[in-house]
Amino acid sequence: MIEVKNLVKTFPAQGGFLKQGEVQAVKGVSFSIPASGAVTFIGESGCGKTTIGRILTGLESYDSGEILYNGMSLADLSPTERRDRLRKVQLIQQDPYAALNPSRTVAQSLTAPLAWEAKRQRRSKTWIEDRSREVLTQVGLNPDVVLPKYPHMLSGGQRQRVVVARALTVNPDVLVADEAVSMIDVSLRLGILHLLHRLCTEEGIAVLFITHDVAAARYVGSDGSLYVIYQGEIVEQGRTEELIQSPVHPYTQSLLSAVPVLRGLERPGEDRYIPRAEFTSGDSTACRFALRCRFSQERCRTEKPLVTTWGKDHHRHTCHFPAPRRVVAEPIENERL
Amino acid sequence: MRAIEPRGRTDASAIRIRDLTVLYHTERGMLPALKDVNLDVRSGIITGFIGESGSGKTTLAMAMMNTIRLPGRIQRGRVEVPNVGNVLEFQGERLRRLHGQMFGFVFQASSNSLNPLKRIGSQLLDLGRSHGLTNGRQILADAKALAHRMGMDADRVLTAYQHELSGGMRQRVGIIFALILRAQVLILDEPTTALDMLSQQAVLEIVREIHVEQGLTTVIITHDMGVVAEMAQRVAVLYAGRVVEEGPTPEVLREPRHPYTRGLLHAIPRITGSLEEAQPLSGSPPDLTTVPSQGCVFRDRCPLRMPVCDRVEPETRSAHGDGVVACHGVTADD
Repeated sequence: MIEVKNLVKTFPAQGGFLKQGEVQAVKGVSFSIPASGAVTFIGESGCGKTTIGRILTGLESYDSGEILYNGMSLADLSPTERRDRLRKVQLIQQDPYAALNPSRTVAQSLTAPLAWEAKRQRRSKTWIEDRSREVLTQVGLNPDVVLPKYPHMLSGGQRQRVVVARALTVNPDVLVADEAVSMIDVSLRLGILHLLHRLCTEEGIAVLFITHDVAAARYVGSDGSLYVIYQGEIVEQGRTEELIQSPVHPYTQSLLSAVPVLRGLERPGEDRYIPRAEFTSGDSTACRFALRCRFSQERCRTEKPLVTTWGKDHHRHTCHFPAPRRVVAEPIENERL
Repeated sequence: MRAIEPRGRTDASAIRIRDLTVLYHTERGMLPALKDVNLDVRSGIITGFIGESGSGKTTLAMAMMNTIRLPGRIQRGRVEVPNVGNVLEFQGERLRRLHGQMFGFVFQASSNSLNPLKRIGSQLLDLGRSHGLTNGRQILADAKALAHRMGMDADRVLTAYQHELSGGMRQRVGIIFALILRAQVLILDEPTTALDMLSQQAVLEIVREIHVEQGLTTVIITHDMGVVAEMAQRVAVLYAGRVVEEGPTPEVLREPRHPYTRGLLHAIPRITGSLEEAQPLSGSPPDLTTVPSQGCVFRDRCPLRMPVCDRVEPETRSAHGDGVVACHGVTADD
């Protein structure tokens, strides 16, 4: 449904006393989001995953590359057509505390976009009310309880559900969920992840899930595709479940290593590896991860790795020395003290 | 990676919190944010305070240092620190000096606790001066050693403004601030919530190493059972201002007694195992105004709810050897 080819985005240099050089946030990324599919982008802060999400929702321009919505290039459309098309791609932002107007009740927050829809579709006022109840029910909230409330009266999880409900008012084809659970208590995260999964499988809405938490990706769509992004490039991609169970790129492996070990129930994987060094921009003529990689060799610092496939499932990676490693925590078999 | 063996120290060296009740003044009257909390924060180990938003975990840490501000008020209770006495009796300058000597606090969002107009180094000097340390060279040398210890470029960090640092680095700078006065008790409030997984794990490992090297008593406040499981030797589970379960982390993880603890554990998204195993906790965490005034505070979300839960608040009873649990559904200790 959405196809992206060789997307490039550079943020210009900033003058003034900050003197930041230009930053290429996205360096030739290609991927596709199938209708009612779940696609996950994973990577650490600053890797460019949010920029890609913003470009897809039309909030950010791009320098080169092509974005095809149902086969039509976004760049060829007239502004009106583009707006109509992008309305079907809704962004769910990270912070449910900032995404809702604190001085509006949930009913008011939902009525505003619905009034637009009603005008476009020539619907009545009762339609607006019915529809706001419908979208709230869709996200698992009780409309009678929630509608009259202000955002501060809701928990983080409930707020995020309201944000999703608001996105649903326009019958979107695609939801771009940018770190949609990272500000929510862990105890309530799964609820939101299950909701996204349900919207995907039952309502046929495609979900682009952007996250830094590998574990969360499984719950949105374990048979969707997973893209691991490092410094604006895709370093590994495959079917979500397979990639999580058998990654071969050291960066993906360190992301998996970072999942906390439940000591007492699990022991850390033998090859667990967390790079301590901060993210530095790597060289474009070498593997960008080489500076932080435990397994890097001479070749990694001189030659840029190409996309290669691995294993039965043919998942793709860019590493000179791919190897499966045991990085995930392993359960301790009921050894009592 | 090395696991730390729990060091069996005697209770005498613990920070003893007794009958601590903190009230918040709201439109609906004075409401308890903490109610009759009894807890020993043992010295020399890492203790986790875990609970959802509004469970009182930060209030508990603040009350431990006697820094509850209006509209909050400590109604009653004692916080006994060995060789110091009851912290709640300290006031004014004496309290400030005690904070300097005893406690290091790392705030949730370090960017909000750093001055955006001053370089990190100069803020450290201010901090030292305000606590009577006049030897600036020594402070900077200590800070450099700590920064280096945490894998940062010390010169760069000390001459930087806070906005020039990444989230993970700011959090490490927060730890430098907490430790520069040689605190004995390090309290970290949601140290990793704003960080991505890689920075989170890097910060946690640094905390663990420094905790051991400096022989600290560390408290980690978090809503993430994963962080507790990874870090803490003991865990206190807070719900609606009550400690509902406490004990050595491995035991609590292996055999959680309180249904809330069990719920928290099941709610962690995992990278292995079946997808159906993990289930979100039902309902929403209560806030001050929705906490029931009688009976068990957890009953609305509890799978084991019984008639008695509506009327009587459960007493704490011993569990996990030297820990406690407060639930009507839990029978005698094993």
